[in-house]
Parts: sequence; structure tokens; C-alpha cells
Amino acid sequence: MGRLARSLRDGIGFDTLLVFFTLAYLLAFAGLPLLYNIVLSFQSVDMFALGSLFHEVTGLENYRAVFEDPLARTVLWNTILFTLGSVLFQFTLGFALALFFNQAFPGSTWFRGLFLAGWVMPGLVVGVLWNWLLSGDFGVINWLLLNTGIIDDPIFWRSDTDYSLLAVMLANIWYGVPFNMILLSVGLAAIPEDLYEAAELDGATAVQRFFTITLPMMRSTIGAVIALGIIFTLQQFDLFAAITSGGPAGSSMVAQYWSWELSFRQFDFGRGAVIAVMMIVVVLGVAAIYVRSTRQETRL
Amino acid sequence: MSALNENRKNAVLFTIALVIAAIYLFPLYWMYVTSLKTNSSIFAVPPEFLPGAPQWQTYALIWNESDILRYLKNSIFIATGVTLVTVIVGAGAAYVLARYRSIWIDIALFTILMLQVLPPSLMVTPIFVAFTSLGILEYPRIGTILAISAKTMPFFVILCRAAFMSIPRELEEAALVDGNSRAGAFVMIVLPLARNGILVAALLIFMQGFGEYVYSASLIADNRLQPASIGMTNYLQPNVVTWNAIMAFAATYVTPILAAFVLLQRKIVSGLTSGALK
Amino acid sequence: MKRLAAAAFASGLMASAAFAEDVTLTMWTESSNAPEGVFAKEFSDMDNGIKIDVREVRFDDLVAETLRAFATKTNPDIIAIDNPDHAAFASRGAFLDLTPMVEQSDQIDMDNYFDGPRSSLTWGDGVFGIPRASNTIALYYNKDMFRAAGLDPDSPPATWDALYEAAKKLTDPSNDVYGIAFSAKASEEGTFQFLPWVQMAGGSFDNINVDGAAEALDLWKAFFDEGLTSPDTLTRGQWDSTGTFNGGNAAMVISGPWELKRMAADTQFDWGVTLLPVPSDGAPRASALGDFNLAVFANSEHPSEAFRFLEYYDSQVERVWPEFTRMPSRKGVALAPTGNAKIDAAAPVFVEQLQYARNRGPHPEWPRISKAIQDGFQSALTGQKSSKDALDDAAAAIQKIMN
Repeated sequence: MGRLARSLRDGIGFDTLLVFFTLAYLLAFAGLPLLYNIVLSFQSVDMFALGSLFHEVTGLENYRAVFEDPLARTVLWNTILFTLGSVLFQFTLGFALALFFNQAFPGSTWFRGLFLAGWVMPGLVVGVLWNWLLSGDFGVINWLLLNTGIIDDPIFWRSDTDYSLLAVMLANIWYGVPFNMILLSVGLAAIPEDLYEAAELDGATAVQRFFTITLPMMRSTIGAVIALGIIFTLQQFDLFAAITSGGPAGSSMVAQYWSWELSFRQFDFGRGAVIAVMMIVVVLGVAAIYVRSTRQETRL
Repeated sequence: MSALNENRKNAVLFTIALVIAAIYLFPLYWMYVTSLKTNSSIFAVPPEFLPGAPQWQTYALIWNESDILRYLKNSIFIATGVTLVTVIVGAGAAYVLARYRSIWIDIALFTILMLQVLPPSLMVTPIFVAFTSLGILEYPRIGTILAISAKTMPFFVILCRAAFMSIPRELEEAALVDGNSRAGAFVMIVLPLARNGILVAALLIFMQGFGEYVYSASLIADNRLQPASIGMTNYLQPNVVTWNAIMAFAATYVTPILAAFVLLQRKIVSGLTSGALK
Repeated sequence: MKRLAAAAFASGLMASAAFAEDVTLTMWTESSNAPEGVFAKEFSDMDNGIKIDVREVRFDDLVAETLRAFATKTNPDIIAIDNPDHAAFASRGAFLDLTPMVEQSDQIDMDNYFDGPRSSLTWGDGVFGIPRASNTIALYYNKDMFRAAGLDPDSPPATWDALYEAAKKLTDPSNDVYGIAFSAKASEEGTFQFLPWVQMAGGSFDNINVDGAAEALDLWKAFFDEGLTSPDTLTRGQWDSTGTFNGGNAAMVISGPWELKRMAADTQFDWGVTLLPVPSDGAPRASALGDFNLAVFANSEHPSEAFRFLEYYDSQVERVWPEFTRMPSRKGVALAPTGNAKIDAAAPVFVEQLQYARNRGPHPEWPRISKAIQDGFQSALTGQKSSKDALDDAAAAIQKIMN
């Protein structure tokens, strides 16, 4: 038996083959499209020549045009606000729910299961549903807020420049809470019960136990959940398309939607690609954070 | 703590759970209620929280007019394909990435995560062009499955990696000592042990495939092969928006998966939380 | 008579196609219930050796999908395309110049079409399609509400001032009634609704910042600022806005003839239609020219078969009003009675309004020009800029695109 065959049968070759298989698939179906976007960002792309990879090279011209666009600052700020706001609330609410359902009371598993309902919905359906809930004149949310005296005048969630981004964020938080809750529940269940019992014997309060046991033991889970949350939020597209389309007057425009809008509404594929490249840079950082967080993992 | 106190505590927790679940599920409830209203009672002020006269014929209309059954079949076909491809291509990598701890593993993990940065709306043009020139779009649903799988893969790998981490290494090593090849130990010992975690992750991937829109919209030109997400947007045309019909379509679309989840949720949640995914 | 003509036409086709193999054409359209979808089905069912496969593509995605398909030569043979998007395809040679076929044709004569629709599909010396139909916008108003507010339902507002006064009188927050509904959405629909106001003030898409245009935009802004229209007008399309009118939540709405069927069926009040109000008595009228064109792709393998479908479409043009409430683009086609008194009363108003309808473009860069116009009115309506500044910025952006 040759060395290679032996390695494939008994050694590291087997592992390499498995990872290579997956990576090759991803590089072909996700890596090449990524590369295509990077190449486009340096070119002037004619809308009727999408089929070819090479067009007139214009260097950094597209980048200059994007940064000079008056909308660029709004988009940058909105993207940060949307991502951090969504992840913060999804995570906090998800964690609170995970802790709540971690107390075994009758029906707790059953109730936790109900929350998955939000997650299994197609993004498009969620968007359409929230568009309807948040409508200004006939929306049920406005009606509830008005009748409980929380607001005096209806809020035009989709059409008021002060609320449009918040409207999409609300829907996105609703959509993302179950995902956070379930993954965090998994992490909570992995903490050995005897750690808590020992701490309780030592007289630690519930709050102390949370900060000295729960949080440290959950570090790798929290890192993974937040990293995935940021990446998923940066990809959120359906909700924008269904609720505000980035408007009015660009007030709820975020990077991923703007990039699509430039490419497929104004047919300026070069500038659309520039924003895609910017997003790649951001996700590089987020992915690095995730990989670091796996260092804290313990294996049985 | 006395039994009485315990009971009272449980009752309080149960009530709180009931309230937050009701708040959380209200949007879904509103979808069902709206789908049963007439076109004019939809806009009534104050809104009707119970439909006075349920308009079941809206569902009949959707059923007859929009070929929803055909759309749902396509959705199931695509979701099944995505799940199979993702599991077959992804499980091995998840296992390896859980098994070792080195800079190369870090790099592989980083690359896998990185590759899911762009939303499908920005990936679809190059994929469309490449698939067309390779002839993959002769089989548009297969092409769509391949494209979606690249999107779901990183998530699956990360979930499954957690499942593989919970399997004691000694069991696998014992199998190797008994003369099994690595592949043999992987298939005979490790995969069965990680079964629950893989199944649950696969189920979540199935859901993503079931609801996918962007790739299906662009890669599948033939109406007869399109999934329900596309069928629904036909109801969102600028000139045919009727909220009750849209909500009825949405309800028909999601009710099967919701029902499956309510029936299976005990297994899913316990599969996720009690050991399988540690 | 109509049926007879169709039958004669079909038999003519049959004779010429008797020995040919069955040819399958593909057509992309927004809806298979639109006239071209229905006619294509009839055409396929005839024994003429030609079948047409219809694919529905969402209106919003039609151009993007078509570009992608064109890039990979997987585009259809025939497409129904929104008329402002036509020029981009015609100018790049994506569509087939039908001039030689039209010259041979006994059915299609370009001189029969109104100037507006014809120029939207003409580029250089070529003719790149036929109009599907035409539409335009006018002012619908709720006569019952007019009476209740002490306004004369027989003399609806004819000038901008009168429109503003009427909207003010008709607005009734306690009953959830807005004075007026329209669409100021950041999409082609918004451009379609706003451009006529600029044109009535003497401007045009390449001269968007004339003085009167700022006045028009100020009027729109007053509708918003004074609560005379729903704030959701900024994000709602025409169909949804008209829905609020039909439901009695708006006393007037600006929209087109495609609303007539639903309005006649859904409303429980007396309503009428009138021409779009002008800046002042005697000022020039303007309106938007909408609807789709049918075009054949230059790379189609069966151009003559595709053209035969266009001929069939043209032969059935009398049906587009009574069956689809779309207005024929061909001169001399009377709008046949539909049997519904309200719709038949509205018909002459739209016929007159259509005389003043103007094209958007034609310009190959129309989507970007349109976007600049949308940015203009939206930034003014949300209070980010004054009407004057917003339109000046839009004009500068449009100049940059056009040069």
C-alpha cells in the first residue's frame, strides 16, 4: 500500500480529503461569485454585457463614485445601526428566553418549541406579514399602541424617515430571536449541573452564579451566536424588499440593499460590486472573531 | 422548597410563558385572521380580532387559481435536494473541524464562514452566467439546489461541528484499534452517535431551502418548476395586491411546516438541547 | 364580426404554415392574464403550427431578468416590456428592427398608432415593436363625499388651487378620510405620477427644474405636511393607494384606467373621473403615457413566426378595452361599451386625457434618469431639501447621466 493510500485509510489524508471536498464545493459555488464581484468593482460594466468577465477597466473610479455619493454616509450609518441594533436585541431577548425556558417547569419545552415558528417562516413571508402589521393607517400595531395610550398619533413606520429603519429592525429582531434562543439554550444545557449545585452550597446568589458560571461557560457559544447573527443580519434582504425598499428617500437603505439597488435598479453593476467588496472586508473581521471564539471550546 | 411553593412558582412561570408566547405568535395569528376577512373588513377601524364571517372561499380561490399544490411540490423537491447535498458535502468537514485544533483548522473554518458573506441577491448574476454556460440550467431545479446548498453549507457545518464535538474521542479510537479504517470508524461509529445533531441541523437546512426566493426566482424560468416563494410573489404584483389573498397564500405555504414543527418540536428541542448538540 | 376576422386570419395562417414543423416560441410577460397572455393562448390553440410558451416574470424583476438572460442568449423570442424600458433594448440592438416585416404586412401599419406609443418603440430609423395598449392617469373622485363637503360633484377641481382647496375640504381625520391619494413611491410608479405635473408647468424630464415644477412639488408637499394625504403615499403604489379610495378612506385618487374594473366592483359610493387639474385655467395639459410594448428579440430563431403573433395581437386590438380596460394604441378604435355605466362614463375622459399623454424618454438610460427624479421628489417630500434644491440636484444628476 502506498503512502498516500495509507494516509487516506488511516491518517491525516482522510481528514484532508473530507475538508477539501467541502471547501472545493464552496469555492466553486460561493468563492467564484465572490471573485466575480471583486473583479467587477474595478470595471465599467455595460448592462448588456453581463455574460463576460472582462470589461473596460476603470481602476478605482467606481470606488470614488460610491464614496462621493451623498447616500454613502446614510448607508454606512444605517448598516451599522441596523446590524448592531438587530444583533443586540436578538441576542438579549434570545438569551433571556433561553434562561427562562431553562427552568424546567411544566410545558417549558413545549413553549420553547412554539418560538421556532418564527424561524421556520420564509423571509419573504415574514416581510409581507410585517409590512401589513406596520402599515400606517390600517396597521394593527398602530391600533394597539394608540388604544393602550402609548402613542397619540399613528406612526407611519414605513413612510416616516425617522422610523423606517426601525420598522425593518423590528421585523428582523422578531425573525432572529428564535435562532439566538435555541443556540443559547444548547449552550446552557451543556453546563454541568454540579457546578451550580456547588456554587449554591457556597452561598452564591443567582446573579453571582450567572456571572461566575453561566457567562464564562458560554463564551464560545456566545461568540458563535453573535458572529453568525452579524453575518445573517448583513445578509438580510427579503425584509427590506418587502417592507421599505430602502426608502423613503434612502432613510432605511443599508449596504446589502443598496448594492442590489445599484446593480438591478440602476444597472450600475460596477458600483454595486464596490459595496459588495466593502461587505466582504467587514465579514473578514467578523469571521476572525468567530474563529477566535472557538479557541475557548472544550472537547469531551 | 415546599410542594405548594413549587406549584405556585410553576403556575407563575407557566403564565409568563403563555403571555410571551402569545405576544410572539401574534403576527402569525394576524396572518390567519387577515386571510379569513373580506376585502373591506381588512381595512376596518377598529380592526376585527376575530373574523366575523370567515371567508374560507379565499383559500378555495388560491387553491384553484394559483396552482399552489404544484408550487409546494417544487418547494419540497428543492428543499429535499438542498438538505441532501448540504448534509453529504458538509458532514465530513464538520467532523474534521471538530476533531482537531490547529492553525489549518482555523483557516478552514474562517474560509467557510467567509464564503457566505454576500447575500444571494449579489451572487445570483455570476452563478446564473456560469450555470448557463456550463449547461446546468438545462435542469434548473438542480442548479438552484446547488446554488442554495453553497449558502446553507457554512451554517450546517457550524451546527454539526458542535454535534461532533460532543462525541467522546475514545469510542472512535477504540474502533481504530479494532482494525477499522478511518472511513469505517467515521461511518460506523461517529455518524450514528452524532445522528440526532445532524438530523436536527438537516431539518433546519430543509426549512431554509423551503423558503428560499432569490435563486429560485432567477434560475428557474419555467413557471411549472418554480417553488411556492415565487408563486407567492405572483400575488404581490403591483396590480393584483389583495391582502386577504396574499395572507391566505402565505398561510397555505407555511402551515405545513408549522404543523410539522409543532408535531416534532419536542424531538427537535430535546435533540438540540439535551446532549446532541453540546 | 370580430370572431369572423379572427377565424379568417387563422385560416390564412394555417395555409401558409401547413407544411412547416411546429414552432415553439417563448414570451415573457408580467401576467398571463394580460391581453398578450390571453391572446398568446388563443394563438397557440389555433392550428397554425406555432405554440407560444408564456413565462410570468414579476414586473419589478423583468428588466434585470431579461438582461441576465440576454447576456447568456437564453432570452425569450417575444417580450412585453414597459415602454420607458424599451429604448435601452432597442438602442443596443437587442430587439429586432421590424421595419421590413411591417412593410410587407397587411395587418400592421405603424401610421395607425398614436404618436406617443409609436415613438416609445422607435429608435433611429427602426421600429422595434408594437404597442400593447396605452394608459394614462386622471383624477377619480368620490361624488358622495363631494356632496357631503358642500362641493359640486359635477364640477370637480380643474386647477391646482382648486384641487388643493378640495383636498382640504374633503379631509376628515375623525372619519379616517384623506382628501387625496396618489403614489409618490421611489419607483417607476412615482416617476409616472410626478412627471405630468412637471410637464404641465412647462418642464420635461431633461428640464426638471423649471420654476413651475418647484410649485408642483410644493403642492405635493402641502398635501403631506397638512395631512391631506396619507404619509404612506410615499411608499405605496398606485394600486394600493386606489384601494384606500375604494374603501372610502380617500376622497380623490390619481390613477389610471386599469383600476376601473375593481373600482366598479368594490365601491359602494358614487364616483366620477376628470382630467388632471392644470396649474391655472388655460394652461397646457399633460399626462403620463403608460403601458407596455411587444418586441421581438434580434436573436430569435423564428422572427417571422413571432411577427405573426404580433399581427394576431394587432388584429384583436378592439378587445383590449372591453375585456381588459386597457386603451388601444391604434387610432380609430372606438372604446366598445363594457355594459357597466360607470366604466363607460369614464372611457371618454381617459380618451381625452390620453391625447395629452407624453412619453418618459425615450432614453437608453431611462432607469437612472427616473431614479434621479424619484430622489428629487422624495428628498423634498421628506423635508431633506427644499423643492427648488431637490429639483436642481435632480436636474444636475440627469444632465450628468445624459452626457
